[in-house]
Amino acid sequence: MRKYAGSWCKINMIEAAAVLSEIRKNGATHVVGIPDNGSRALYRMLWTDPDIRVVSVTREGEAFALAAGLFLGGARPTVLIQNTGFYDSGDAFRGTVVNMAIPLVMIMGYRGYETMSGAGTADTAATFFEPVLKAWDVPCYVMRSSSDSRLISAAFSRSGADSLPVAVIYPGEMR
Amino acid sequence: MLDKYACLRKLFSLRRDEIVVTTMSVAAPWARLSDGPLDFAMVESSMGQAPAFGLGLALARPERRVIVLNGDGSTLMCLGTLVTMAQNPADNLILVIVENGTYEVTGNQPIPGAGLVDFETLARGAGLAHVHTIEDAGDFDACLPLHFKGPGPRVFTWKVRGAEEPVPKPRAYIRQRALELRQALGQ
Ligand SMILES: [Mg+2]
Repeated sequence: MRKYAGSWCKINMIEAAAVLSEIRKNGATHVVGIPDNGSRALYRMLWTDPDIRVVSVTREGEAFALAAGLFLGGARPTVLIQNTGFYDSGDAFRGTVVNMAIPLVMIMGYRGYETMSGAGTADTAATFFEPVLKAWDVPCYVMRSSSDSRLISAAFSRSGADSLPVAVIYPGEMR
Repeated sequence: MLDKYACLRKLFSLRRDEIVVTTMSVAAPWARLSDGPLDFAMVESSMGQAPAFGLGLALARPERRVIVLNGDGSTLMCLGTLVTMAQNPADNLILVIVENGTYEVTGNQPIPGAGLVDFETLARGAGLAHVHTIEDAGDFDACLPLHFKGPGPRVFTWKVRGAEEPVPKPRAYIRQRALELRQALGQ
């Protein structure tokens, strides 16, 4: 079993409303992705949001290509997926938003985070996550509580300044 | 069977301000006809993702038609995107599947299901209603105006004869071409 050297610590549940408020504040026009248990409360709010359109995809790689097209067309997309979907997206992520220098905030669920405190039973969905982001040179903010939702604004600023995708990752399930 | 080069010339003859996204064995022949900022080769990118990319452009710019010239092998890589196109319908999106039965630019190896896969059935099964298969020049001429008309999204399969295009070499790196496309769209 690989030893994990990441950023595990105890977390608090994140309010979906706080995350939505940050996304809205930064002018997102579209949220592209696939819901999971971590994001379901946020998706529930997004589906009735009057200003943000949810674009559902069948596999996460599509989300990055779609977001690239949206951005070049003048929209302001955000991607909302789970870490497992990010792994599946590797080539689409590299070949679209990275190669096209798209300023994109990706909010991604840290599935399995709670298993990382246990010895030998950690979910690789979690243990691979921060190392993979680091290997792919993706700036990353970890949101561990509702007050950390302000990191979303920091991510928007950074992605805009550097014209590159930036990750905001969160453990647990939003409520 | 259609001649790919003749089809592209005819498409070009009616093209005005549409965004044309190309891939693989269509990218170079289209660039020989037109290679401005609205001609976007999905090269140095991610195989299979051109339809999703075109859908993003179409959703962001409903007043502007987007024509995606995709391959059959590329379409197979992301079949789910047909469902994504049906779920998020864009009246201004046209997807052309250029079906030659092979991965042309890598030496014409057969694609999985060559001769068995029916792209029209796949597209209809995904929930897309405006789907056309074109097998000869007469059909092509009759359907050509529909490539520039709603209701969309429309899907065309062009059944083309084999050819031997090499790997395309775009005029500039994809980052530069993406910037030019964004600027051409007034962003
Ligand atoms: Mg082919």
